[in-house]
Amino acid sequence: MHIPDNYLSPATCGTLVAAMAPVWTVSVLKVKAQVKKRHETLPMLGIAASLAFLIMMFNLPIPGGTTAHAVGGTLLAVLIGPWAACLALTVTLLLQALLFGDGGILAFGANAFNMAFIMPFVGYACYRIGHHYHHDKLGLAVGAYLGINLAALVAGIELGLQPLLAHTANGTPLYCPYGLNVAVPAMLLAHLLVAGWVEVLFSLFVFQFVQKVAPTNLYQTPVKTHQRPWVYLLAGLAVLSPLGLLASNTAWGEWSPQELKQQLVQQHLGTHVPQGMQHGFQFDALFSDYAIGGLPVSVGYVLSAATALIIFLLLIRGLQRGTDTTK
Amino acid sequence: MLLKLANLCYDYPNTKGLVDLNLSINAGEFICLMGPNGSGKSTLLRILSGLATPNRGQYWFHDQLITAAYLADAQHRQRLHQQIGMVFQNTDVQLFNTSVAEEVAFGPRQLGLSAAAVEQRVTDCLALTACTTLRDRVPYQLSGGEKKRVALASVLALNPDVLLLDEPLNGLTIAAQQQMLTLLQRLRAAGKTIIMASHNFQQVQAVGQRFIIFNSAHQIAADVSADDLHRQPERQAQLMTL
Amino acid sequence: MAPTQPNKLPNWLTEPEPPLESASKATFFQRNQRHLRQLLTKLAQPTPVIQPTRWPIAAHINLIRLLIMVLLIAIINNLALLWCLGLILAGQLLWLPPQQLRTFVKSWLISSLVALIIVLPSYWLTGPATLLFFGCKTSLILANAQYYRLTTTFNDLLVGLKTLRCPDILIMTLAIAITYLRMLGQYLLLTLEALDLRTVASTKHPYQLIGALFGNLYLKSYAYALELYAAMEARGFNGHYVRAPQRRSHWRDYLSLSPDLVALILLILWGN
Repeated sequence: MHIPDNYLSPATCGTLVAAMAPVWTVSVLKVKAQVKKRHETLPMLGIAASLAFLIMMFNLPIPGGTTAHAVGGTLLAVLIGPWAACLALTVTLLLQALLFGDGGILAFGANAFNMAFIMPFVGYACYRIGHHYHHDKLGLAVGAYLGINLAALVAGIELGLQPLLAHTANGTPLYCPYGLNVAVPAMLLAHLLVAGWVEVLFSLFVFQFVQKVAPTNLYQTPVKTHQRPWVYLLAGLAVLSPLGLLASNTAWGEWSPQELKQQLVQQHLGTHVPQGMQHGFQFDALFSDYAIGGLPVSVGYVLSAATALIIFLLLIRGLQRGTDTTK
Repeated sequence: MLLKLANLCYDYPNTKGLVDLNLSINAGEFICLMGPNGSGKSTLLRILSGLATPNRGQYWFHDQLITAAYLADAQHRQRLHQQIGMVFQNTDVQLFNTSVAEEVAFGPRQLGLSAAAVEQRVTDCLALTACTTLRDRVPYQLSGGEKKRVALASVLALNPDVLLLDEPLNGLTIAAQQQMLTLLQRLRAAGKTIIMASHNFQQVQAVGQRFIIFNSAHQIAADVSADDLHRQPERQAQLMTL
Repeated sequence: MAPTQPNKLPNWLTEPEPPLESASKATFFQRNQRHLRQLLTKLAQPTPVIQPTRWPIAAHINLIRLLIMVLLIAIINNLALLWCLGLILAGQLLWLPPQQLRTFVKSWLISSLVALIIVLPSYWLTGPATLLFFGCKTSLILANAQYYRLTTTFNDLLVGLKTLRCPDILIMTLAIAITYLRMLGQYLLLTLEALDLRTVASTKHPYQLIGALFGNLYLKSYAYALELYAAMEARGFNGHYVRAPQRRSHWRDYLSLSPDLVALILLILWGN
């Protein structure tokens, strides 16, 4: 499920990093609260990241003699809590991208969105519902299956949108060449039929083992306390930000076709406006215009991605001061 | 001749493991591998068990040359694993079932025995290692010494011809050490071959029949019988300080 | 041991075990052992990283360069500019020792080939131009990432991130992750080997075993976390990662960024 580089346009990558920024921020805050009750959560983040790495590299047998891999997003969420799982999986993906060449460097945000956000949270939500009705295992199974398939669906959409979002004048896609009609079924079919079930079996048996052997080592849901409103705000942003995926459409679509044509001519790309761009989409998304202050669109991409990163780092930095992480 | 090693060498990626080993072992011997930490005792046990194959030289078991190619065949490998059992130094890695009884039953269940025969083996092995009271406990929650005994029980249940033990007495009480050694001697008397790595001479000097002593250059420094060793007080003194 | 130990061995234990008739193809445990060994070797002795003595570049500049390069390649749709970026990289490769260069070329070719195979069906969808362009760009990105991995130690990466003012918690987590990747990997390998030694017939329920393996691994990692926290606290850990000795940025660090920046500026001018 790791999306390599050059399959997603930098705009999509930037948008997804931006989408992850609030998720990461809330996760850090939530984990800090968790650390106060269970001190070992802090080192556990790193150790869980290496555990996730090993899970992702382990070959699991499937009928027919070949093998598949599990991702373990749902399982980790159930074992160490969804927020900690989100951070641990993010670290795993970062390590894989930078040091092991698994998954792209620019596509890191997209991979984190699919595997460190959608998967653990969807999976954990299902598990909680199951837990509420005293069917932990059923909840986990449904969560694992839904989680990985939803992540695959979103990955398929991210990939499949590329030919629509970014292509040259004559319609040649610049990034992933497969449209929604190919990318989504390809991703979904593999996961619905095989990888989803592998994930379910893997998660169930590990969970069953831990539950039997050391039930106290499972993540205990914290008692609901009064939550500050900005937490909801950030969560809301996180939910809304996938819309930003389409932000580049707005940027493209907001130019008049004439303008676009002019730009394309300047870029020596072609002389007619592509069919799909004749009628731009109209979305009021967060980052609605990549072409800031007359700068070319490429600079806009860079700026928006950088801005998202800096906002995230600033948030972390600002919230870090004054609160002691260990006590 | 049960086991034979000829000019065997084993290298780890950046250090030596074993250098030019020559060794013959007969069925029914009780052998103690002695030597300082990192001298090659565990490496030798790994090679004997088939977990690692030598870089150079030969390893013969029952007149069969054991090579990577031979072990690539699942049936050969599994046959070897049935005949040679091993208790790891860190027994944590060896116990992965949810109860002690399940742990011991794991091996014999694969042997195609009836449910009653499997149950018999579990009961026997737990009794031999004095683990009967632990039967329904979770291996993960046992103490270090208890884990050692359960690990031995789970290996015995496969009825191996050769028992490899890596520091089996570590973490056991003095009484439990004594009982473990008595059991090993009884197994040897029944025809099993026991090869035990230890760096504590005091613990094993009473039971070992033959002492193979490694030096820090990963070679065999001495290969002496217990009788010969009794006539060499300076060597005994040297072994005491390992 | 309790004094209830019987004095006599059971009969089955005194007779040799009859050979088993079994045909098993449970090779995935073997395959996983192989993969784990490869990973552990890689972690234990990473390919010696070449530290250019004449032109040493600060860790964070290297990281920024990688990001700019990858971004540039992804944005640029002009063959001439891509060509220039390729040349910049090729120029850097010139400084690699021959052995390293061979390693680089080998793994780069393999990863490029894999990328090409994935995109091959698009030939029938969109024609050869996409295939060629996409192939070129992807392999160029892969080459850059590969070069970074080849010339950067894990510690350099941490120092770079630290200099770029990454939060302490992230750096600490990364450092723990890579350390424990080795320890957990080692543990998993030993568990697999122990399991292998007690496997004498084909495995009927592989997933149950895998569940037990990873359940154990999780419990082990939990135990490690408890130990590590105790150790951290004992050493007076206060939530701040120890500052690694940093080298001050020199003019040449920024100079080394210049080809990329020039390319970026060119692209902007061209774009306008």
